[in-house]
Order: sequence, then C-alpha cells, then structure tokens
Amino acid sequence: MRLRFAYATLVGLVVAGIVHIAAVLAIPVLSDADAASRARASESLEHPQTVYTVATGDDPSPPEAWLPIPDPAVAVGVCAYDLADGPMRVSARTGPLALSLAAHGRRGAFYAVTDQAAVRGALDLVILTRAQYDEALAEDDENEPSRDVRIVAPEGRGFVVVRVLAGLPSQRPAANAAVQAVSCTTDSPADEPPAKGAKR
Amino acid sequence: MRLAIPGPAARGAGGDETGPSAAARAAHLGGRTARFAARLGRKSSVAGLALYALGLGAVLGLASADWATSGGYPFGGVQIGAWTAWPRAGAANADPYTRAVNARRGEVPLAVGEGLLLTAAADDAGRTLDAACTYRIGGAMPSARAWTLTVAGRGARDPDRPIVREGFTSTEILREPDGRFAVLLSPEVQTGNWLPSPRASGPLRLAIRLYDTPAAASVGALDRAAVPSITPIGCAS
Repeated sequence: MRLRFAYATLVGLVVAGIVHIAAVLAIPVLSDADAASRARASESLEHPQTVYTVATGDDPSPPEAWLPIPDPAVAVGVCAYDLADGPMRVSARTGPLALSLAAHGRRGAFYAVTDQAAVRGALDLVILTRAQYDEALAEDDENEPSRDVRIVAPEGRGFVVVRVLAGLPSQRPAANAAVQAVSCTTDSPADEPPAKGAKR
Repeated sequence: MRLAIPGPAARGAGGDETGPSAAARAAHLGGRTARFAARLGRKSSVAGLALYALGLGAVLGLASADWATSGGYPFGGVQIGAWTAWPRAGAANADPYTRAVNARRGEVPLAVGEGLLLTAAADDAGRTLDAACTYRIGGAMPSARAWTLTVAGRGARDPDRPIVREGFTSTEILREPDGRFAVLLSPEVQTGNWLPSPRASGPLRLAIRLYDTPAAASVGALDRAAVPSITPIGCAS
C-alpha cells in the first residue's frame, strides 16, 4: 500500500516536471501582457506607439509606460507589424541623438541596427518575409541599388523597437520627438510598383 | 522505509493491509500526508491515487514554473565583479525561462546589436546594496558609444521623495582628467556625481546599460577592471 503511494508520488513528481516545462514554454505564447501583445495596438499607426517617454522638466513620465524598469534617459517606441499586409518599412532620419532600431519576433530580437549604419542621414529598415524578399530582389534596379536594410523576419508578426538616448536632460524633449518622427509604414504590394515607375 | 520502521510496515505488508490499525500507525508516523495516503490505500482506489498524482503534478509544476519566471532572469547571466551581464536577454536564441520572464513582465530587452544590460544587487564584497548606505561606484566602463547608470528600489517609488535624479548618462557625468569617474550613491547630498537613493531603506538594484557596444558580443572578455567597482563608504544609523 505504501509502495503504491510512493509510486503515485513519483508519478506526481514526473507530472510536475512535465507541467513545469509546458508552463514555462506556454507563458510567452499565452501571455497577453508581453511586449508583442501590447504592441499590437500600434499596428494601424504610421508612427511608433510610445512605450516610454522620458521625463522632461517637471513633467514626470506618463503612466502609459509599461516597461518594468525603464532607462530614464531613453525614449522608447514600438511599431507592430503583420507581414501578411505587406513588408514593413521603418524610416528614421538621424539626428544628434543616438537612435537604434531592433526587430523583435515572438522569440526575441532577431535584428538590431543603430543610426551609425545610416546612409546620408537616412536609415530605412524593411522587414519582409522570404517571398517578399525575393520579390524585392527581382524588382531591384541594377543601376540604382536600393539603400534599404532588408531583413527577412522569422515569422509574420512582430514589432520594431525604436530607442533614442538623451545624453543630457535638455535633450529629452528632442528624444521624445525623435521617436515620434520615425515612420512605420506598410509597403503595400498593390501600389508599390506604380509608385516606383513614376519615380524613375 | 521498511527497514527503518519494521513494525507497522511488516504488519501492513503481512496481512490486513487495508485495516484501520494500519491507518492509525500511518497517521502516527507520517502525519497528515500519510493518513491521506492510507485512506487512499484502504479504499485501494486506483482512481484516487491517480488523482493524487495528477494533483501533485499540477500544483508542484505550476508553482515551480511561477517561481522560476517571476522576478529576474533565473540564468543566462555572466558575473563580472559585482555586476551581472545579461547578453542573451533579448536574443532570438534566449532560453525559455528568459523568454517567459520577458513575456510576464512586458519587458522589451536590449538586442545584442543594440546594447548590453548589467545589473548589480550587491557590492564588491557581496553584501546587498542598502538604501541607507553610501556607496562609491567608480572606475572604468566597457567601451560603448553611450551608457547610463541607474538605480532602482524594489516595488513602487516612495511618493513623498522628490525625484532628483534616477541615473547618470555618459554625457552628463563629471570625470577625472584621466577619463575615470566616481558616482556616489547616497541618501545624503554629496559633492561630485551624487546619485540619490530612491528610498529611505531597503535593498537597491543598480543597472548599467551600454548602448552600441562591442562588449555585447564578447561578454566573456570583460573582467573586473573593465566594470565599475562598488565600494561601501558608510551607513547612516
């Protein structure tokens, strides 16, 4: 009898191990408080959704901030994307402040680039699927190579994080503005080729 | 188990295994769990035992998963002096625990090409950072385009304390002629780079964020001399 109980306990411990592993693996998928789910609201916006606004003067950071321990000198914004609607284009103009873009999928960040990679003051990050990437390559004009930084995303949905660092308190309003100045647009496949034709 | 307690075990195994005396002995020996087990055993219900095993598995599994993913990252840190670097916190190949912690906290970790996070909850001697004490944080920083050094307490901020400063950036810090620096983390006003304690008492956490740093790709190459030291100076009584 006691043997059977010990056996049941042993089985219980094995089940506990399986439940533990399953729960840890399921948390990122099921969570509705993670960054990917919270960023979903920004999918329809043309500019980043503010995640963290640095405090300026007497204004403290607004309570919409959901980063648990944010860097008080870094303004953060996110742009969610869904590649089913077309490739995502994130365009940033470099300014005096350090700016970085990081592309995150469900599993974590798969690409990051800072404004030091900018060509003539502009940083264009295009996130696409493998099929959209091949299409973009095929459409490339040999005489006028694209200046876009093209990244193939591992999955269809994700978000791009924009961070701007304000080195001095006086640069904080500029950092908040620089996050908002980044544009996140969907290159819709329908109207892209005519636009290109008109330009060239 | 049988060798250690020969009496009841022998009787239980010998004959009347579902008898009330066995249940009483079990209660005497093992407390509530054993009594529960004996009751299950007396009824000799396989379903009961299966239910017990599943219940135990569910409770232990969920509780341990919750414990491992609440709070900080359970592993993946690289210890450098008093600091712990988290190079893989935002990487696509981060371990499942790190990803679960990020998901639960809504954290957007720094990507490898973006920067590196270092945290410290104890001084160089290994004592927990206390808000009532004064610390000197000084020395060198790993090479980076910019960095910030910030302090945070546990839980919500004290609403009565004015926010003077939560951290320093590499641009605004006052340096020695040789480029080194010293930050004084103290509840009292200090000369030089004063970082006020965010609360009157309790544990503190320091964080260094290195932006655009080559160190993120080679954390193992950093040694104690490359990161600031945290030296206690004194504590207010």
